Amino acid sequence: MDEKFDCIIVGAGIAGLAAAMILARNNMKFLLIEKGDFAGAKNVSGGVLWGTDLARLVPEYWKEKDGGWERFINHRRLTFMDEQSTFSLDFKSSHFDEPPYSGVVVLRSKFDRWLAEKVQEAIDESDYAMESFIATNIKVDEVLMEDNKAMGIRTGDEEFHTDSVIIAEGVNNLLSRQVGLQDDYVPADHMLTGIKEVIRFDQKVLEDRFQLDGLSGMSNEFVGYATDGVEGGGFLYTNRDTISLGLVAGIKDMREKEKSPHDILNHFKEHPVIRDTIKGGEVVEYSAHVVSSGDKRVMPRQLYKDGVLLCGEAANLLINAGKAIQGMDFALRSGIIGAETIIKAKEQGDFSSRTLQEYRQALDDSYVMKDINNFQDAVHMLHSPEMYRDIPNLVCDFGRTFFTIDNQPTQKSRKLFSASVKKHSSYWDLIKIGFKGAKSL
Amino acid sequence: MKFYICIKQVPDINAPVQIKNGDLIRDTDRTVLNAYDASAVEEALVLTEKNEGEEDGEVEVVLVGPDNASETIRKALAMGADKATHIRTDGNTDYDSSVYAKILASFFKDKEYDVISCGKQSQDTDAGLTGSMLAEYLDLPYATNAVGLQMEGNQLIVTRQGDAGREVIALPGPCLVTCSNDMNEPRIPSLKGIMQSKRKPVETIGLETLEMEEADLQTQTTVTGYREKPEREAGQKFEGDPEELAHKVAKLLDEEANVI
Amino acid sequence: MSTLLTHIAISDGTIKRSSLEVLSYLRQQADTHGHDAEAVIIDAAASDFVEQVRQYGASKIYTVEDPVFKNHINTPLLKALALVMDKADPYLFAFASTEGTKDILGALAANQDAAVLSDVSAFELTGDGIKATRPVMAAKILSENEARGDKILISVRSGSYEANPKGADGEVVNIDFSIDENEIQATLREIIGASGDKVDLSEAETIVAAGRGTRDEEGQRLVTELASVLNASIGASRALTEAGILDPSLQIGQTGKVVSPRLYIAVGISGAIQHVAGMASSKVIVAINKDPEAPIFDIADYGIVGDLYKVLPPFIEELKNIKR
Ligand SMILES: Cc1cc2nc3c(=O)[nH]c(=O)nc-3n(C[C@H](O)[C@H](O)[C@H](O)COP(=O)(O)OP(=O)(O)OC[C@H]3O[C@@H](n4cnc5c(N)ncnc54)[C@H](O)[C@@H]3O)c2cc1C
Ligand SMILES: Cc1cc2nc3c(=O)[nH]c(=O)nc-3n(C[C@H](O)[C@H](O)[C@H](O)COP(=O)(O)OP(=O)(O)OC[C@H]3O[C@@H](n4cnc5c(N)ncnc54)[C@H](O)[C@@H]3O)c2cc1C
Ligand SMILES: Nc1ncnc2c1ncn2[C@@H]1O[C@H](COP(=O)(O)O)[C@@H](O)[C@H]1O
Repeated sequence: MDEKFDCIIVGAGIAGLAAAMILARNNMKFLLIEKGDFAGAKNVSGGVLWGTDLARLVPEYWKEKDGGWERFINHRRLTFMDEQSTFSLDFKSSHFDEPPYSGVVVLRSKFDRWLAEKVQEAIDESDYAMESFIATNIKVDEVLMEDNKAMGIRTGDEEFHTDSVIIAEGVNNLLSRQVGLQDDYVPADHMLTGIKEVIRFDQKVLEDRFQLDGLSGMSNEFVGYATDGVEGGGFLYTNRDTISLGLVAGIKDMREKEKSPHDILNHFKEHPVIRDTIKGGEVVEYSAHVVSSGDKRVMPRQLYKDGVLLCGEAANLLINAGKAIQGMDFALRSGIIGAETIIKAKEQGDFSSRTLQEYRQALDDSYVMKDINNFQDAVHMLHSPEMYRDIPNLVCDFGRTFFTIDNQPTQKSRKLFSASVKKHSSYWDLIKIGFKGAKSL
Repeated sequence: MKFYICIKQVPDINAPVQIKNGDLIRDTDRTVLNAYDASAVEEALVLTEKNEGEEDGEVEVVLVGPDNASETIRKALAMGADKATHIRTDGNTDYDSSVYAKILASFFKDKEYDVISCGKQSQDTDAGLTGSMLAEYLDLPYATNAVGLQMEGNQLIVTRQGDAGREVIALPGPCLVTCSNDMNEPRIPSLKGIMQSKRKPVETIGLETLEMEEADLQTQTTVTGYREKPEREAGQKFEGDPEELAHKVAKLLDEEANVI
Repeated sequence: MSTLLTHIAISDGTIKRSSLEVLSYLRQQADTHGHDAEAVIIDAAASDFVEQVRQYGASKIYTVEDPVFKNHINTPLLKALALVMDKADPYLFAFASTEGTKDILGALAANQDAAVLSDVSAFELTGDGIKATRPVMAAKILSENEARGDKILISVRSGSYEANPKGADGEVVNIDFSIDENEIQATLREIIGASGDKVDLSEAETIVAAGRGTRDEEGQRLVTELASVLNASIGASRALTEAGILDPSLQIGQTGKVVSPRLYIAVGISGAIQHVAGMASSKVIVAINKDPEAPIFDIADYGIVGDLYKVLPPFIEELKNIKR
């Protein structure tokens, strides 16, 4: 079959789906290829899709009868944890109650499938209704290169030709490496394992327990004891009648400390506060997946070359700076920008890096690269032992003494704080962390 | 050679479900092509390919089901079936095997074919009735639970798994067979297959176009509700030195469980 | 007063225990509700089995005897069943859920315009029909069903009820049967891998089931030895039947057989839901698997986490000692 496509997108994750939506709307002839049984089949990262970009893909998605999302976030919490206690920063605001929401919780296996249906609708309405496809259960084995320019893909013994390829394959970036955009060796200390359980409750119980109203939801990040002394952090998001509870932990650090993700998750679940939070729930799903740390040092030096672009986590577009994991929103925006670049390339009849470099330019100008650049220090801090060990201990220790009333003369809080500091960290270290922290935010 | 394959769209049994007040609540509306039907399609494709050159082999799939079953039909077309008929049931999904068999029977009444092939059972309900019902309505010789098929002239040679062993049965055409997934590994559609499937003809017809009586659409059985199975508790799990484990468990089986 | 009729399945010259389970239960139901429990034997030597069926309390026993019934062929069987239904006019006609039954149940229901429920695990009579429980979704959950009408067919999973003898001097009614060769369009050419005198898996008291973990010669040898020590039947997961290592008739699960032995030992089987669908109602389940996370451990009463090649030899020795 010698039909040539304008574009072939590899991977129907958020980045690939976003790109496909834009291509379909602009009457491009393309293929979106996903190796899972369906879009989302392989995805475990139930999480929060931050920001309002989703409305750019599916305008007024909140009006859809059964949209793919679970709840909108109007309640956020950052929790420091030591062995017995938690100390939380908690923010809830009705300011977030009106669409467009600034964050929705999604379960990817459902959300991606829904988004893929929306893309299919867009294809059906496009000029290439019969020529553009979403093909699932197909793994792309190779991006075909000719004179260092992408000109097609191979799956099994079938080859398909195209003017451009968008690689949106996620974190296991085999193709990005194959085309020479990603180094073959990604140091393990920049890779984390994300594991997650979906725990089911009676919906009423869930809503009462987390004070949810209608479709409002909460996101909670955890630092400290959550990861049992291993680099990383935990999270809890409320879905319709389940919660996603999980953590991300450094692969290298885990290996050194001889701990498995499963052990750490169990450890997290046994914390008295978490135990109470998940009481009565039933685990209905367990999954694990590699995720990058968001350290810019592992970003590919370049995100494009002749005829090919990297979008989403394939380009390591992600930050995990303590207050949230942002990967899906970056994937979505980069998919949009990537597709827009391809459309422009088609208009100009030039798919070489000359045109495609505009992708990098637009990405640099967007919040994606700005945030990635600005929050690097925060990323480093989050992945430092101080942050996942000392600070939570210190904060909880302070909390414990501060909130204790034991019929003894009460000390001033400053004094309590310095006592905690003495116990858990030297002043000098604290100053260092303070600096780091201040710099990074 | 003309094969008709009856294919059904069924819920994915691997997806989590819950039961609330007797109702079955599925986490997703994800559906699949019934695995046994996929085997039936596969086998028909193999048999018609073999017969190529002699005369034109044709594989047509028929599905009775709601609008959203078109994805399942595409799957069969992407595997390689030539065309499809979608008999739309619109809202009604509570039909039992008997109603589906009657609908299919009235569809086949004026059709020409050599073989009608069904799955041996639906993966979700395991009923295993539709195939032989359809054969009875159409007055066709049939065999169920086929684990192997072959063409011999216009006879279909069916190897079926029976109580006594594998029975090899010769059926004169036209005939009907129900297929077990033990007979092959259904192919996964290739990208070319997926692309071609979009251009293959799918005829969509409504139930009202079939000659059926109102009563034919009435089920004689109903599902009144669902229940959890009595939970089987995980018992004791032993790890450690194999010798010790072997001794310990053998003893427990003898003295505690009393089953030796 | 209506008739509750049980079909007596015969295979390899013996009555399937599961038919007697069904008959015993129907006799009990007949007693409670004031109905008649009757039975039908269709076989080349039907009269040979009358005595045994009598011991299970059928008040009337229909026999249809013809050489054609030596092997399972659906056309004559359907014809005979239709004849019997005309004669006995059963309100409920129950079968053991064998492969033979699965082959004809739908066709018989269509022919008789009867309501039908297959593979039930429990049922009871109601005023205007029956209520029955069926395992669905690969036996993950149970569905409650109703069948209405004045003619109802069901097939019952083996092991759902106990077979209890209860003497009765049931009257024997012989039904004349003949069939013209031309009526039978299908021809049975041969039977491969006939089970011979092996115990039918669905009736076995002890089963050693072999999975992918046992696929080499040594694994098979260990499984065979374990089975022989325990006087057990050997079963298999699809991984082994598909690979041609064990006979397809030994497959246990959704596609294969449903079993309910007193003791089930799963060796090197992961516990996929389609396998579990066929064995979850075993009384005692033992699992030997090297993967501590294997789902089979979720339902095993005794789980041994370990390499079967290391665990089985001492296990077999120990069992030999116990047996002695
Ligand atoms: C446990 C966990 C929790 C997370 N929580 C959050 C959160 O709360 N908020 C947030 O914003 N981010 C979160 N993330 C990060 C987020 O999931 C990723 O950044 C995001 O999914 C990246 O999207 P993507 O489209 O680039 O890649 P993916 O979503 O990974 O999609 C890539 C797709 O490509 C397919 N594919 C790969 N190779 C091939 C091939 N060769 N051929 C065909 N198809 C292929 C894959 O099957 C997959 O479907 C979390 C991650 C983890 C692991
Ligand atoms: C429609 C449909 C119907 C099906 N019907 C059936 C059916 O009726 N019956 C059936 O069985 N399957 C059926 N299947 C297939 C089923 O899904 C599984 O693929 C199959 O049961 C797997 O067999 P297994 O457990 O032997 O193999 P695997 O899943 O590969 O498991 C092998 C296990 O052996 C363990 N192991 C390996 N080596 C060792 C060792 N040295 N010591 C100890 N443990 C070891 C491994 O840890 C693993 O857990 C069906 C599938 C479909 C789609
Ligand atoms: N709605 C349907 N459309 C097409 N074929 C069907 C349908 N329902 C049942 N069948 C066929 O009958 C088989 C299953 O029968 P049963 O187990 O009785 O539901 C399937 O494998 C199909 O071949």
